[in-house]
Amino acid sequence: MNNNTHISPQQSNRKGFRWLLLSIAVVSVVISGLNTDDNQPEPYPLVYPANFGGRITIPADNPTTREGVALGRMLFYEKKLSADNTLSCGSCHEQKLAFTDGKAFSVGVDKSLTARNSMALVNLLWVRNFFWDGRSPGLEEQAVFPMTNPHEMGQSMEASVRKLQQVPVYGTMFKKAFGTANIDADKIRKALAQFERTLISADSPYDRYLAGTYQPTAQELRGMNLFMEPPAPEKGIRGANCGHCHGGPKTFKELFHNNGLDATPKDSGREAVSNQAEDKGRFRVPTLRNIALTDPYMHDGRFKTLAEVLEHYNEHIQESPTLSSFLRGTSNEKGGKTLLLNQTEKADIIAFLQMLTDKTFINNPAFSDPNKSLKQ
Amino acid sequence: MKKNKNIALLVVTLLISIPFMSLAQQAASISISGEVLTPLTLTKADLANYKSASHKSKDKDGKEHEYKGVALVEVLEKAGVTLGGKLRGENLAKVVLVQAADGYEVVYSLPELDPEFSNNTVLLVAEKDGAPLAAGEGPFRLVAPQDKKQARWIREVRSIKVVFVK
Repeated sequence: MNNNTHISPQQSNRKGFRWLLLSIAVVSVVISGLNTDDNQPEPYPLVYPANFGGRITIPADNPTTREGVALGRMLFYEKKLSADNTLSCGSCHEQKLAFTDGKAFSVGVDKSLTARNSMALVNLLWVRNFFWDGRSPGLEEQAVFPMTNPHEMGQSMEASVRKLQQVPVYGTMFKKAFGTANIDADKIRKALAQFERTLISADSPYDRYLAGTYQPTAQELRGMNLFMEPPAPEKGIRGANCGHCHGGPKTFKELFHNNGLDATPKDSGREAVSNQAEDKGRFRVPTLRNIALTDPYMHDGRFKTLAEVLEHYNEHIQESPTLSSFLRGTSNEKGGKTLLLNQTEKADIIAFLQMLTDKTFINNPAFSDPNKSLKQ
Repeated sequence: MKKNKNIALLVVTLLISIPFMSLAQQAASISISGEVLTPLTLTKADLANYKSASHKSKDKDGKEHEYKGVALVEVLEKAGVTLGGKLRGENLAKVVLVQAADGYEVVYSLPELDPEFSNNTVLLVAEKDGAPLAAGEGPFRLVAPQDKKQARWIREVRSIKVVFVK
């Protein structure tokens, strides 16, 4: 505990012995604290920078615990949760790709494609409505959908429970996490949600810049300013106004907008959830954290590169009745209809977007497949 | 006999129309909920039941516009929110959480809406320059003339919820 306390060479051996005794006492207290008689799971500390804000969601009936997270991590990488034992959550949410799969659409157990692009799993503690259309109000509820959807993992929760019951280690892990070895659907989704809550990314160069420990390059700084600023040609201010919807220390805001991909959206997006015509073609404004790793982009993965995404916002916004008013008539030229950024400015913005890549996050051993790390 | 036939026809028609009813788009409305005595769902037509209020102001485009609607406090009073004489004690720890269609949220405190506390009036508007608010701005918007910045002039209002700050 007090390993860093300095003891000068002048101090007597007797003093050192007293320290030793005290250290043993402290360690014993810690150990006895871990081995509580009632076998209560230990709270999992969710650590994040203060500028992320505390508007996080943890249901009262599913506190985050070390044992629950360990179980959730096992389940996240458990292929037995799919109908043909070939897919786990981790198949379409790979850590090295910031928990996406690099595909426009993912292939399910029935070999069909998902309807939308696999979303990055990051900083989910701050998300209040899940999926591209925000239809799910919590991680516990969300987790059931990909597991049971015939075009994804395609297995009923009942079948998953039966399969896990055949694996002895799960009995032990469920008992540690929830106090009972009785495996059920509710505990599966709770454990998955607990693990997902720990997927916190807060160590990108941009985070370090905000913390005052990283000095961005001149290009990154230019890109950051363009990203944050709304253009005001009458004042000579150039900008891309990305931060309006993607701003803040998390580069995530809980918003749903039609970003002008199509004049007539093929996928009605949030309209199918809200039943309101004003929501046609509206989708989640996704987090930009690790955005350089999560191609292809948009709900249908239509853009392969960040350059294509910038071209879209700069030159190809499609007008429609539900187009976001923030994307209409925003321009760097007086009377301009589109952003009209030049090539250098687009490159600067991409340099800033690359500042959002958090290598600590994608290499964090706590988030990796536990079976793979055991083998290594 | 004929009557029974008619009833049967009516029942069949109703049954057939059930799936279509569930597909029908809801009329644009806002909900007033939370710490209220009577939750409300308001459509534009319902605003006619309140005293009309308007405000002229320059928008971001630099042009003057006339916004027309009702005082937000009147709608809250109708829902039975603790205002006026009841706005004391723990009720002062309530806020009005306003949410837009795109998820954007702002809050007002009850005292800044209550005429017994403040001379300012926050308006719930549905018209601009004599026409319904355009898509992307309406059908409902709040106008807070006392705010120097218009960030709380929230567009596309979908819900108004009175909540305790826990």
